[in-house]
Order: sequence, then structure tokens, then C-alpha cells
Amino acid sequence: MVKRMVMKPLSWIERALFIDFIKGLSVTIRHAFSKTITTHYPYEKLTPPKRFRGFFGHKVVDGNEPQPAFDEWVERFNIQVEYGKSRCVVCLLCKRACPVPQLFEIEGKKLDNGKRVVSVFNMNLMLCTFCGFCVDACPVDCLFQSDIHETASYTRRDSILDLETLEKIGRDWQIRREHEPDRIWIDDDHRNKLWYENDLKLPEPKVRGRHEW
Amino acid sequence: MESLWVDIAVAIVKILVILGVALGVGAYLTWVERKVAAHIQRRPGPMVVGWHGLLQPIADGLKLITKEDLFPRYGNRFLYNLALVLALVPATLVFAVIPFGPEFEVFGYKVKPILTDVNVGILLVFGLGSLAVYAIALAGWASNSKYPLIGSMRKAGIIISYEVAITFAVMGPLILAGTLSTYKIVQNQIDQGLWYVWVQPIAFVVYMFSLLAETGRVPFDIQEAEAELVTGFTVEYGGMKFGLFPLVEWYIEVLTLSAIGVVLFLGGWSPLNIPFVGFVDPLFFLGPLSPYVWFLLKVTALFLFILWLHWTLPRYRIDQITEIAWKVMLPLALINIVITSLIAPFVWE
Repeated sequence: MVKRMVMKPLSWIERALFIDFIKGLSVTIRHAFSKTITTHYPYEKLTPPKRFRGFFGHKVVDGNEPQPAFDEWVERFNIQVEYGKSRCVVCLLCKRACPVPQLFEIEGKKLDNGKRVVSVFNMNLMLCTFCGFCVDACPVDCLFQSDIHETASYTRRDSILDLETLEKIGRDWQIRREHEPDRIWIDDDHRNKLWYENDLKLPEPKVRGRHEW
Repeated sequence: MESLWVDIAVAIVKILVILGVALGVGAYLTWVERKVAAHIQRRPGPMVVGWHGLLQPIADGLKLITKEDLFPRYGNRFLYNLALVLALVPATLVFAVIPFGPEFEVFGYKVKPILTDVNVGILLVFGLGSLAVYAIALAGWASNSKYPLIGSMRKAGIIISYEVAITFAVMGPLILAGTLSTYKIVQNQIDQGLWYVWVQPIAFVVYMFSLLAETGRVPFDIQEAEAELVTGFTVEYGGMKFGLFPLVEWYIEVLTLSAIGVVLFLGGWSPLNIPFVGFVDPLFFLGPLSPYVWFLLKVTALFLFILWLHWTLPRYRIDQITEIAWKVMLPLALINIVITSLIAPFVWE
């Protein structure tokens, strides 16, 4: 159903008494004397929601990999799985999904025991649009987007994430936020800080297995 | 001979005080404006430099002064710099005829807290106000760039339209006061026991509209129109030269025109007025300082009201602005003159 909004034109008496001005002024004066809703940014920082599309990271092998997909890909590519190292299986699906594929620079290497492992994984974020297609494409839940959003850097070199940085971000993420329920706001307090008008309690999420959200 | 030297000394002291106060306050009004605007938008505004950002104007000034002075390649350097002078000088000159309080005596000399009590003070104010159009037209022309030119043409159109309306609007209080001297207008309001806003509400509304239009405040900020024209005629100015235009237009001119509005309609330094009752002074405990505080309070209130309007209203289109000037405000002002001349004999008693 379309709700039709028809604005009646102001009558002459309303125009002469500046009713529309007064309505607008009353709104602004009410806002002027109510509390500010901002965050004092460099001193206070909001934690972005878990789904935030920030810097990229590589989750590391910690026993929580999506099964059976991870084992299948490991078997197919004969990957050396090492605890605490990147889950990457060098399938290049992220590069296939990327709208600017040249920003990925991915290489694997063969170890002496015949197994393979990722050796180079560079992402040039100067070219990245943070669309998250690569994250969707990743079959082993390795590549992901973290909540790190302060991405300014002094040199172009600093905007290229190499494998070490990606793993560091991933480990940090897995310690900090991996177990959070996946919803837009961290909790009701956080939600009410920005949207206090909408003072309703969200239902407590039932914590289930990690990949069943 | 001796009294001449004293007069000169008094005038110099007055000039220094007025210039210092006007320019210092003008700079700090940027902070006030930013705070008011921020709180209307539910932000705290400048908070970092000094307590609640109190040193922010100084930081901004330092930044603007140390910036590189850029000049458009095919501009006219003489007119470009002349526009600055033409903007600043007439705007500050208006302070010369603003009476801040009643006459008082120091060491046997009678001192009026007004730089020059010219007997055509109001005429001077609006003459100087019309000069602003030259500054803006020259700034746009000398920049040799299209946005400044469009902005300055718009502003020139607005000022010319509203000069007519504002002149006819102030005719009402002038008829009631029977004089053009700003000091005597206030004195007459006190003698007649009446703020002219009570008998001249139409003129006051027209005056407020014209004030907003002449200073380029919001419903009429079409010459700036940051969405269309970047910042209008200041586009090609940089550093402190850029800072000077908003300072003059948004702060000094608003301040002078609100002060003139207070003088004409709100009884200058007189305390609160209730029609048919007379003056009531809730600030009587301040003694001889009370008139100055009243004047300051009224100007501050009017200035804050203008800020409040600025951060509330959207912008009119250029054709709507000129239409309001010629089709609404000018007839209203003329009707007001007729009404005024009918009621004037009663007010004079």
C-alpha cells in the first residue's frame, strides 16, 4: 500500500505569523539543549560491529575450521596444516572473485616432504574496494574482514598486507571477537547509546555451533 | 586648545576600545557560531584546543596567517586586494555610530560612549552597508573565475533588492523618533517610554529579513551556496584573506546590524519595556553598569537568534529571494510607513 503524503499549502495567517519558521525553530532549540550523541574520536573509540568490513586478515588453524570443507581442500591440494599458521589452501578463489584481481599476489611453495603451503599472500589495499567478495569466496573461512578501520598510513608500502600481517590480524581477531554473537550491535547498551529512541531489548541470541548463524 | 587635545585623546581611546572589542569579539564569534551550530546538530563542537575549544579561534587564525598566499593567474591583483579593504573598512566603520550606553562624566568631561554622534547616523549606517556590494562585486570580478563571479552577482542582486526594503523599514522608527542620530533615537525611546518594536512589528520583521539577506545568513546565503558554488566569491582567496570575508560578513556585519536593530527597535541601552507601564529594570543592582549590560544582552540575544535561524532554515532560491524583497517586503514596509504616520502623533505624546 502506498501512503500518500499531501502537504497542505500554508494559509495566509500561518504565513504571516511564521508558523513554519516557529515549528522548525522549536525542533532545533530542543536539539540544542539535549545531550550530544557523538564520540570524542581520538580519545574514545567505538567498537565496530562484528560484521564490519575493515582490514583483511587470515584466520589461523586452531581446530575450529569449517568441516568437512577444510579437510577436503587440504586433501585436494595436499596442504601442510600447521597449528597457529594461516588456514590458506592457495585455491586462488579470492583472486577469482575480486573485481580488481591484481591486488592479490598469492604464491604457494612445495615443502621437502612433498606437501604444499602458502608462502606469499600480499593484498594491495590501495586498490581494494572492501567489497568483501573474496571473503565470501573463501572456502575454508580463512580470509576475513576484521574491525580494524584506521587504515591511514605514511607510505604506500604500509598499505600492502603481507602474510605475516594478515596472520597477526587473524590471531588477534580470534582472541578478541571470534566468540561474539554475530549481530550488528555489540550489546543493547551500545545500541542505545546511538539509537536511544529505539529502547527495546533484543532477544538474547542462542549460542550455537560457530557456522550455523 | 586644551579641550581639543582632550577631545582627540578621548576619540583615540574610543577608537582603540571599539576596534579591539569589535575585532576580538568578531574572531571569538566564530567559536560561538561553531558551538551553537554543533549543539543544534547534537555535536559538542570544538573541544580539543583549550577548555571546550576556547583557544580554537587563535589556532585557526595562526593557521590562516601562515598559509601560502595564492593568486589566480589572470586575476586583477589591485582589485583583488581592494575588495578586502572595501569589505572590512565599511563594516567596522558602522561601529562609529553605535551608542553603547548613556552619557557619563569623567573628571568633569562629558563622554558619550559613541565614537561620533553624527546627526545623520542611520544614513551613514545604510550608506556604509550599501558599500558592501562593491567589495563583493569586486572580489568576484577580480578573481577571474566563474563561481566567484556567479556568487558575487547573486549577492549584488540581493543587496540591491534588500537595501530598498531595509531603508523603507527603518523609516518607521525614524518617523517616531524624529531624528537620524542613533544616540537621540534611543534617548527618544526612553523619553517616550516605548520600545519601537511594540508599535513597529512589521518594520522589525522586514528589518530582520533584510539583515539576514545583507549579511548572507541562512535563508539568503545564496551567494555562498556551498553545495553549488563552493563558497561563492571567496573561492579564489586563500589564507587570512579568505578568513577575512566570513569574519566581516557573518560576524562584524551581523553584529553591527543587530546593534542598529537594537538601537532602532529595542530601545538601545534601556531596560526591559512593557507597553503602557514603562521601563522595568531587573538588573538595577548593577547601578551605572546596567545600561551597558542591557545593550550587550540585547545584541547577544539578537545575534544568537540569527545563529539559531541560520542553523534551522534551508536556503531560498534566488528568484524567491528577490520575489520576497520586491513583492512582499517592500509593500509591507510601505504599508508600515502609512500606519506609522497615522499613529505617530499618539506616540509623540
